[in-house]
Amino acid sequence: MLESLELTVNGDRHALDAPVGRSLAEVLRDDLGLTGTKIACYEGHCGACTVLLDGVPALSCITLVHAVGGRGVTTIEGLREHPLVDAFVREDALQCGFCTPGQIVSASALLAANPRPTREEIGHAMAGNLCRCGAYRNIEAAIASVGGGR
Amino acid sequence: MELLRPRTIAEATAALRDGAVALAGGTEVVPLLRDGPLLAARLVPLAGVVPRGVDGRRATPEAEQSHEVGAAAATAAPRPVLRVGAGTTLAELEVDPEIPAALREACRLAASPQLRSMGTLGGNLLQATRCWYWRLHSGCWLQGGDRCHAREGEHREHAFFGNGRCASAHPSDPAAALLALGATLRTDRRELPLSELYRLPRDDDRSTTTLAADELLLELEVPSPDASVYLKAMDRKRFAFALVGVAAARSGGEVRIALAGAAPIPWLLAAPDALDEATPLPGTSYKVEVARTLVDRALEAVAP
Repeated sequence: MLESLELTVNGDRHALDAPVGRSLAEVLRDDLGLTGTKIACYEGHCGACTVLLDGVPALSCITLVHAVGGRGVTTIEGLREHPLVDAFVREDALQCGFCTPGQIVSASALLAANPRPTREEIGHAMAGNLCRCGAYRNIEAAIASVGGGR
Repeated sequence: MELLRPRTIAEATAALRDGAVALAGGTEVVPLLRDGPLLAARLVPLAGVVPRGVDGRRATPEAEQSHEVGAAAATAAPRPVLRVGAGTTLAELEVDPEIPAALREACRLAASPQLRSMGTLGGNLLQATRCWYWRLHSGCWLQGGDRCHAREGEHREHAFFGNGRCASAHPSDPAAALLALGATLRTDRRELPLSELYRLPRDDDRSTTTLAADELLLELEVPSPDASVYLKAMDRKRFAFALVGVAAARSGGEVRIALAGAAPIPWLLAAPDALDEATPLPGTSYKVEVARTLVDRALEAVAP
């Protein structure tokens, strides 16, 4: 059943119709053209689809778009100016790059809550973002470099 | 699929009575709807209906005065009890200093940050087994079939207690912690010890909980122990289900121990040597040894 909804993404309000059961990730990519958010496992394991809902990391592939409610969505497109983007390039924190948007979204939430995380805190906060290229050490270094390098 | 918009507990339970499926954090329900084990024509979102947050966190007045009245009176004071809404997320509990250590740690070690931010305590307690034969909708015994495929198949992650019919292992870390803590539950119609929420599936009724189809889990009461701990053996350091999880809580002289990843339901261990009565499958006998070690460490951690 199509049901209309309103969605605020990166500060922009959108009014749209979607069938109940459609995921936030599909709406972002296919209806709003925000293809920075990736769908990989499509079952909530890999973290490639991570977005922020009112600043809290969530898996958009298993979030039903009608359940977002009034929460503001932030995607990787809303983090263009974030220092993490340059840090990931500088520290060579990606190879294929497919997991990178989710990595940066999760890392941005960590740094917002904890501007100078320890390596242990980075490991705990980033556990839900898998990288099949295995760039973990450089991802950790990139986050640490923005967060004061501890 | 249709999305209902209940505003009250009564509206939500009425919808459940008509066969709708409850949706809280969605981390379990959404993948199960996609993969087939769960069917729903209507969803009932529970956000805004089921309580969220931790309440009654203040200590009793007697306990607040314990510095003045001395140790004897302080130990006689009633123990504070926390009321935790079933809609509270694991991420909220993980960082709450008022929450007993066993539950906080069980939440911290569960799943991934994103899943903990989305998933609720109530949903976690009611999650389905991770057994792949069940997840892949294979028509196993728990799904009404003739046999448990895991017994003769792959069962390294499976049970070593209560596995006579279904060999799956209940994955909830918080459930083990809450069992050890002696938590009680409030639903829309009754109060019960958490241990009575779960039951081993039988031939004539294969559900693993005593919850009615239209019953809503609302709140938990969590007593404050003198000491508690949760230890978890995993295949990797983070973001994995428990091979074995051990929770222990000491209140005065009494220690309660509960296990995750051990039986088709969260498992209360009557005493440490009750591990001698385990019934492991060939592939799960290693878990008994892991449990022994973790139980020893947990007892040491909560000792006075």
